[in-house]
Amino acid sequence: MHSDPSGHAAPVRRISVIQGEHAVSTDAGAVMSTVLGSCVAACVYDEARGVGGMNHFLLSESATGARIEEEAMRYGAYAMEVLINDLMKLGASRAGLKCKLFGGAKMFDSLNDVGAANAAFARRFMADEGIEVVGASLGGRSARRIEFWPASGRVRQREVEQAPEAVVAPKRAPPPPATGGVELF
Amino acid sequence: MPAAANLHVLIVDDQQTMRSLVRTGLNQIGITNTREAPDGEEGLRAILQRSAHLVICDYNMPKLDGLGLLRAIRSHPPIKSTAFIMLTGRADRDLVARAAQFGVNNYLVKPFTVQTLREKIEQVFGALE
Repeated sequence: MHSDPSGHAAPVRRISVIQGEHAVSTDAGAVMSTVLGSCVAACVYDEARGVGGMNHFLLSESATGARIEEEAMRYGAYAMEVLINDLMKLGASRAGLKCKLFGGAKMFDSLNDVGAANAAFARRFMADEGIEVVGASLGGRSARRIEFWPASGRVRQREVEQAPEAVVAPKRAPPPPATGGVELF
Repeated sequence: MPAAANLHVLIVDDQQTMRSLVRTGLNQIGITNTREAPDGEEGLRAILQRSAHLVICDYNMPKLDGLGLLRAIRSHPPIKSTAFIMLTGRADRDLVARAAQFGVNNYLVKPFTVQTLREKIEQVFGALE
């Protein structure tokens, strides 16, 4: 519960953002939450207009064998675009947008570090689009639970034992781990 | 059969990343003569300044959106026959029908592959050399 200016408790509206989806809101009482492993979530907001939104995307190596960087560009750009478009429909100013990035962990001992590719894409996208990244927690080996207050841009992060996507086996068997578990990133 | 290298394409999108993706895709199919604009107003200015064979334009943009640019192009006699491909998101597909009323030549749903980009262009111009 949070308090409105008059001191009355107002109900918190919880919005769960699952993989492949996004949400936007102007509700000061809304909290968006998600759990990330190698996925990345961009929390983008315009504090002055009280508008914010979160996406949650996982960009994996495609079945056609396309390089993950290319996949990240293609699908990641779209995931970002729909979020930004919806923020602007709610009154956000493009110039006033700021961003916080989370996720991109290395959840499997495989040669392809999908999390790193996702994180690199997200950073590059924000730089290319001129959206300031004011906070980020990317990479590592732990899953994260993120709570985002879209109207203010506030974020709370907790490390969690295991992300949902870590439980689901990848579509393609990961290559055998490098000898001695050498980390490439 | 048009030569890809001879096609002049104007890419209009408010996201630099998306313009870059389209430009890279065009380059991969041999179309290297491209210009870019960040919104419909700039796009209209650019094409009035120098004509193009094809405009590839996002639907959702600030200032003048894709539909607005299409209508403006179709109402300017010197450039009204410019081919126009609209970039849309999945949720925008119903808007393609409106764009068709204003003479859109084709549409491309994001995210798209280079092969799809080529097919959409070939549906407008015929097979590319």
